[in-house]
Amino acid sequence: MDLRLNEDQEMFKKVAGDFVQAEAPTTMLTQQFLKKETFLPDLYAKIAGLGWLGMLMPEQYGGTGLSYLDCGVVFEELGRGPVPGPVFSSGVLAAQIVLDGGSDAQKQELLPAICGGDAIVIPAIGDHGAHWGPETVATTCSQSGDTLTLQGTKRHVYDAGGATAFLCAVRGGDGGVSVVLVDRNARGVTVTPHTGFMVSVSEVSLDGVQVPAGNVIGSAGAGWELLDKAAEKAIPILCAYKVGACQEVYEFTVQYTNERRAFGQLIGRFQRVQDHCVELSIHMDRARMATYETLWLLDEGMPAEAGVHESKAAASEGYHQACSYSHMVHAGPGTDYLHPLMVHSVLAHTLYQYLGTPDYHKRRMVDALYPRT
Amino acid sequence: MDFNLQEDSPEMTEFRKEVRAWMEENMQGGEHLRWSASWSTREDEEEYGFRRALGEKLGKKGWLFPMFPEEYGGAGLSVDHQFVLETELSRYGLNLTHIFYTLARIVAPVLLHWGSEEQKREFLPPITRGEIVVWQVLTEPQSGSDVANCQTRAIRDGDDYVVNGQKVMVGHHLPPDALWTLVCTDPDGKRHENLSWLHIPANLPGVTIQHMHLMMGIKNAVFFDNVRVPAKYLVGGENNGWKVAHTHLELEHGGDGRVGTDPVVDRVVDYCRNHDVGGKPLIDDPHVRDTIADMILEINTVNRMNRRIFWHRFVKQPHAYGGAQFRYYQRMVRLRNGERLQKIMGADALIPDHGVHEVLDFEYVIRSGPGQLHGGGTLDTDRLIFARRAGIGRATKEQAPDTV
Repeated sequence: MDLRLNEDQEMFKKVAGDFVQAEAPTTMLTQQFLKKETFLPDLYAKIAGLGWLGMLMPEQYGGTGLSYLDCGVVFEELGRGPVPGPVFSSGVLAAQIVLDGGSDAQKQELLPAICGGDAIVIPAIGDHGAHWGPETVATTCSQSGDTLTLQGTKRHVYDAGGATAFLCAVRGGDGGVSVVLVDRNARGVTVTPHTGFMVSVSEVSLDGVQVPAGNVIGSAGAGWELLDKAAEKAIPILCAYKVGACQEVYEFTVQYTNERRAFGQLIGRFQRVQDHCVELSIHMDRARMATYETLWLLDEGMPAEAGVHESKAAASEGYHQACSYSHMVHAGPGTDYLHPLMVHSVLAHTLYQYLGTPDYHKRRMVDALYPRT
Repeated sequence: MDFNLQEDSPEMTEFRKEVRAWMEENMQGGEHLRWSASWSTREDEEEYGFRRALGEKLGKKGWLFPMFPEEYGGAGLSVDHQFVLETELSRYGLNLTHIFYTLARIVAPVLLHWGSEEQKREFLPPITRGEIVVWQVLTEPQSGSDVANCQTRAIRDGDDYVVNGQKVMVGHHLPPDALWTLVCTDPDGKRHENLSWLHIPANLPGVTIQHMHLMMGIKNAVFFDNVRVPAKYLVGGENNGWKVAHTHLELEHGGDGRVGTDPVVDRVVDYCRNHDVGGKPLIDDPHVRDTIADMILEINTVNRMNRRIFWHRFVKQPHAYGGAQFRYYQRMVRLRNGERLQKIMGADALIPDHGVHEVLDFEYVIRSGPGQLHGGGTLDTDRLIFARRAGIGRATKEQAPDTV
């Protein structure tokens, strides 16, 4: 047992932490979140230049071939911003789907472009907003010769704004789910950003979109298995991002208890305020400990399924709760869209159900540990 | 990072084999001890005798306090050895000294830190070798969490201190050999500067112990009536007791660290596999599965917090709020799990199951739930300590005392 980062990881942490402070300062992020302009091409190009897209991808495909823990350390720092943009959705999740399911030619064509930041490939999986799982895939796919025709609407696609292509989950005539690469500019593709209490989410409608049959990633009809397995590897990285976000929320909340005075004293002197900080710390540490243990399991090649689902449940719930407790401490000032808490609060709500709600993942965790009879 | 609890270096693999073989041999006839703890009231004389003997055998090898120096009854081993011992004993639901003697695991490190050379040589070996039972005796009728409000007086008279006063809700159902306690040595002194720690042999004239029947089981009231305690039994210097208390309370308030795990979830799942409702096993009921999910998430967190403290403590890494955070959360989780057991099993959960050890018994988990919230200080003191350590509403974060 050893809870320390190694020397390389300490360096990654430092470099990523410095990058976030210099390139994505809070004052800039609050403005961008307020405008709901969270895909920042210049920032994304710099991230690509640092090799942070495709950290889990082999070097032969333009990745850096790092460990899950290494990648998690960088994403924790990015979460502290929180640095927006498809660093996870394209650089980790989509890349993993292509690596796991793509043909050699598809991998050669797509992965170096994803890792270099030239291609931004965004998974567009469920058609409905509320849930996650194969039953949420409703977009139809019919084949005629070498052409596939897609019809349907992906209600909530995270990071769709900067996409150059989508990895769409579709349902074939036989009912099976497949994954199909769809160019953003294909005729019939419409991307409509959502308003409301979330960011970086758009509706992607596919109205008779035609793509070559060769655009199917993986075996036709085995798409959900491909997505599920790829998500199992990618999700803990997303959790690390949320852990970093919780850490940032925790730190500025504690700092506020040492600055704000009420009733003649610092608010941190009030036990009710202290209690909020205790609960916040528990949500943060619960997510942190589950996430890092799971990253380690993945690096060691040990069974990680239960840990992945546990981490996702803990991190989604944890980030959401961390923000709620921080709101209790900050009261009025924390509700100003120019306050850093609002950036996190909006993002925590956005990510709560992304790739599955906490309840969904809790059930998957129990299924992994204690299969139904 | 490395979260492995089982794989060891070649040297530790050998040591683990040695410990496992030793345990298999010495646990023969002691199956009842699995998941045992010192506060069980279901243990008979024979079982108690076995437990004491096992503790002494472990103590003779220095394995109760493996990292302590040999001259004080330890084995002078490394943290890796301690880790192997902890994990192997936890396979039996045992946890080194904690399981054998009430709070020796706290008393011994405090003595190691604060005792004079003479005291360490005299007091430590019997404790670390598992030969005597020491009780922590702090709570008084008018001072619970506010332990500095101690009213028990120890007034110097020649070579002795004369002790008068009362402690309550301490120990367990079997008698102690020594009492480890806080006394007021300067009744007119300032708060925190008027206290001292005394090691009191339990057989001294004037010491009376009476059982108290509490929700959690049997505890005791201890009366001191003009008890003459040799002055050399005062630990850490006269009126310096509050500093000694810092070390002691840090260990008691979650700073101790364990690597064992709570088996309650596995037992609940067993129950749910073996009980049907309408022909369907409970384990397939979606509501039951959701309740179990919440238990798993919280218990895994408790275990991880505990292991993190263990690691911070023995690898000598700085830690701040971990102990207080863990202690608050662990006790709330235990309380919530009590209710969850009733959700899943209904009234079955309230009937004692004499086929299992009391500590594992669902009835005990539920019954002790509200009571264990305040043992050693309320939830509110935990949260107060958290706030001080985390720097909430204060510019400097209070440092955790060294816990050896």
